[in-house]
Amino acid sequence: MNPETPNPNRVLVIDDSEPIHKLIEARLRPEGLEVTCELDGERGIERAISEEPDLILLDVGLPDVDGFEVCRQLKEHPTTRDIPVIFLTGTTSTDSKVKGLDLGAVDYVTKPFDQVELRARVRAALRTKRLQDILEQQSFLDGLTGLWNRTYLDRRTESELTVARRYGRALTLVMVDIDHFKRLNDTYGHLFGDVVLQGIADALRAYARRSDIVTRYGGEEFAILLTNTSLKAGLFVAERLRSSIESRHFEAHDDVVTITASFGIVCTEDFEAERTPENLMRAADEALYASKDAGRNCIHVHGREGVISADQFGDITEGDES
Amino acid sequence: MEPIRSSFEDDADMMEIVREFASEMPQRADDIEQLVQSGQLLELRTLAHQLKGAGGGYGFEAITETAAALEGAIRRGAGESAIKEACGRVCEVLRAVYIPEAN
Repeated sequence: MNPETPNPNRVLVIDDSEPIHKLIEARLRPEGLEVTCELDGERGIERAISEEPDLILLDVGLPDVDGFEVCRQLKEHPTTRDIPVIFLTGTTSTDSKVKGLDLGAVDYVTKPFDQVELRARVRAALRTKRLQDILEQQSFLDGLTGLWNRTYLDRRTESELTVARRYGRALTLVMVDIDHFKRLNDTYGHLFGDVVLQGIADALRAYARRSDIVTRYGGEEFAILLTNTSLKAGLFVAERLRSSIESRHFEAHDDVVTITASFGIVCTEDFEAERTPENLMRAADEALYASKDAGRNCIHVHGREGVISADQFGDITEGDES
Repeated sequence: MEPIRSSFEDDADMMEIVREFASEMPQRADDIEQLVQSGQLLELRTLAHQLKGAGGGYGFEAITETAAALEGAIRRGAGESAIKEACGRVCEVLRAVYIPEAN
């Protein structure tokens, strides 16, 4: 997800001729590219799914399935859909070029290829892919606060649940809702409301841990996904966030305004229902509304026994972490 | 026929794979003769297609040109004598390929 990562770009070649593999490797390696090769379509697709290369060079005339069919399958699979494909074609017929491009390929190179042209086309495709990656990342960011958005949270929760299950780790979700936000907006105006949202976002970012995924869930609601975190450790983080928000002051006209927020928390360790993103969100939301009902500016937990106040866990300190 | 040298013989990135490719060409010529004698046109066409695609990339334009003519003849359903003639031209080129010495 990080466009600054200096990893070399990886290119997968799917072509039934070994001399072509060696030729492409020899021509692309000086460009600083990592090249892997497969001889047929089926193995090519498997490799593309497991390794997620940055670019695929695909021969039209493969022995098992033809290159067009391979392209169709790559474009249908969620993992490989956005990987650019350049067709390697022996024919110069317009029909076959058009067919390839219509199937979603970004370009084609005719064999035997001119090495300068091959390199230039590969560079161009990788440049576009990089911009596409940046755009994709931006589509996961909230414009006002710069936090991750709800779309990203939903996807990330799904994948973190898989990781948590596989390694037997705990995953904790914290929902945060600014108290009396509508009244603030009505009293001081929407511009002030935006300043508050940005200030709260800053507080969450500053007091969350590096591994925590801080998102603006929508409106005045935020969600923080705590990976590999027990309920007690999660409560500790939530309490730190709550007090950091409370201690912030916002200036509106001549007033100094104090903002508070209500918290709901749920942890996979202490959760009865099926562990899906929707169920976790709903449980955390229920706990959040219990905090609102209890007078706001506090934390509630949705556990096996239902919703209870964080106060019942006693003093939340780091030493309690199990 | 004069020896045919790769235009990439002195290209540092290519030297080693050109030598390897060139050294395989006499065997490819034998393969072509065997396939045409046993009438395995489909296999012959695949081999011609691969030689056409790789030849020029390794700096042997003549391989690409003659292999393309062979592939085209088979695709058009040309007669036996025309195909044999096209095979002959490919094999002549393949056997004339100069194999650079190892460093």
